[in-house]
Amino acid sequence: MDPFKNKNLWEPYRKNRRQYKEIFNHQDGYKTLIESTERLAYLIRSYSVYSMTCAALGHPGGSFSEAELLATMYNYVLRHDPAEPSWPMRDVFYLSKCHACPGLYAALALAGYFPVEDLGRYGSWDSYLESHPDSTTTPGIEIAGGSLGQIPGVAVGRALGMRKRGPDHFDRMIYVLIGDGECNEGSVWEAFMAAGHYQLDNIVFIIDNNKVQAKGFVNSDMSIEPLADKLAAFKITPWEVKNGHNVAELVDLFNTLHTQRRGKPNAIILNTIKGKNVADCQLNPNWHTSAPRETGMAQSWLKELWDRDGKRLGIDEDFPVMLGKAIRVVPPLHDNPDEIVDRQA
Amino acid sequence: MAQFTIPGRDTTKEMRYQMGYALADLAKEYPDIVAVDADLRTSSGLHIFGHFFPDKLIKVGIAEQNMISVSAGLSQEGYIPFPCTFDAFSRRFLDQLYVSVAYSNLNVKVLGAYAGLFTGKAGATHQSDKELGILLRIPGLNVLEPGSNEEMRQILRCAVETPGPFYIRIVRCEVEDNEVGEGYKFQPGKGVTVVDHGHDAGIVTTGFMIRTAKSAAEKLLKKGIKVRIDHHPSLKPFDRDLLYDMASKVPVMVTAENHCTSGGLFSLVAENLAKEGRQKKVGAIGTDPEDFIHTGHVNDLLAHYKMTSDDIVNMVISLLD
Repeated sequence: MDPFKNKNLWEPYRKNRRQYKEIFNHQDGYKTLIESTERLAYLIRSYSVYSMTCAALGHPGGSFSEAELLATMYNYVLRHDPAEPSWPMRDVFYLSKCHACPGLYAALALAGYFPVEDLGRYGSWDSYLESHPDSTTTPGIEIAGGSLGQIPGVAVGRALGMRKRGPDHFDRMIYVLIGDGECNEGSVWEAFMAAGHYQLDNIVFIIDNNKVQAKGFVNSDMSIEPLADKLAAFKITPWEVKNGHNVAELVDLFNTLHTQRRGKPNAIILNTIKGKNVADCQLNPNWHTSAPRETGMAQSWLKELWDRDGKRLGIDEDFPVMLGKAIRVVPPLHDNPDEIVDRQA
Repeated sequence: MAQFTIPGRDTTKEMRYQMGYALADLAKEYPDIVAVDADLRTSSGLHIFGHFFPDKLIKVGIAEQNMISVSAGLSQEGYIPFPCTFDAFSRRFLDQLYVSVAYSNLNVKVLGAYAGLFTGKAGATHQSDKELGILLRIPGLNVLEPGSNEEMRQILRCAVETPGPFYIRIVRCEVEDNEVGEGYKFQPGKGVTVVDHGHDAGIVTTGFMIRTAKSAAEKLLKKGIKVRIDHHPSLKPFDRDLLYDMASKVPVMVTAENHCTSGGLFSLVAENLAKEGRQKKVGAIGTDPEDFIHTGHVNDLLAHYKMTSDDIVNMVISLLD
């Protein structure tokens, strides 16, 4: 089986992704939606392992914690068009915790923004998949980033800009995914303050509350609690997803949020597990940065992902094996007469 | 996954880790030293300091601006704070550094880790090759860029023992323990002649590039071209006398820096030569100031920006033609 060209792995839930159609849990199609979103989340993790290992680079922890959220966004919530990434009527999704882009790249590739096999060129010289996202080269990336805390403000500006143009029948929305550690940055709170002040109800802040930051635990390095109270004090309505890996809970909340445009911004505290579904990585700051150093480890991660999710979702057992075999660590293109040692992160 | 271990003092050659050890050693002697971390300690090397002095490692979370402001406050209570984050993120706290630290002349010693191109493929947001442009224009700020671990240790000591604001660029990659020679003593504000084969051409270096320049000098010697290398670990204040001495002896010069070719070492050399009316051909080795440095293996980056020893050799030869 070709792990890059298999249409049976996943197909978008909606044929026309420019249109949004709510599906509630009593309706036909709800079960299919949940399953297809779970498949997408499984594939996001698997292809992230593939791209990071090829690159000898990446941030597994954050890429795994956001997988279900990304899957829900690209399979259900967002109105977008991979064939025309700059379609003016699209909903905007910003990834503010940009280091977690291996997850986003996998989601964009699967959604059809670029070929899935290109994920193997992540982080290599002359590739359009930068180590941190570059909106000038990568289709589907709304803004460049990699220095934390800047994009929430960008999202506010964009939401404000949309509103100033006056109502349109698309009622476009802005979604921005922020790290919990990222909330240490003062600029995040400047953005929250502005969103509350301008009563921007076309923006949803999503905080990936995975409890771990680069070098430790958020609560012991610089606590952001009580987060819901702080958001409320900034005139933002806080919502909580108890299990950010439960797709049904995510779908249900977004269904609710569509009725919650009440002159206040919304924020979702998304309780997740950093490194979710790979035991080595779960809640382990060591795997914030660092990709598997050898293919064998990546292959065992892929197997583990399949055991936890792929199997029950009916993914062929060959898929993780073939994807693991496809891994080629991209070597430097040039020799260096000076033999400099700058180790893999 | 190896980042949360403490690399052996005798086995690691990476400057970031040796910096962690050096700072811990100094803290035994100077109990007022504290380190301030913005969630990068195991990357910057501060975790080694924190291993020995957990109470002296102050964590401010992912908040670079606050890291500098907090350091300014700590220094006002008599501490000697060493805030440390990636050199690239100096772009985030420039105003805090400018106003709270430099303008107020406070005793804060900023460590810029992952200086230049060596970031372990972290891409344009983490590569710091433009920052000297403003850092070198902040009044009263001492800016230093060591090229070997021994020099780094001496510079840290100098920073502790000299009142006032410092900015020290630290590389991530492996470096030699001593590039200058036995008995080398770093002197504040001074450069040092490292190689003196002859005066066919002069190479001016700072920081990491001393290693590349020395290798180029050997290759040039084999071709019969005898060069002198002046190493300038102190970028601010800059050793003009040493520059003028070299300029009076060599027909052409090449600058080599782990930074772009504008705003840093090349600009210092060009400005100072022009000021004295000393016309000279000066080639510049470094990155392109018009580029965001895209993600790539260091080999690819150094090849693309022509920053290897072979490139220095070629530039010297072409200037002499």
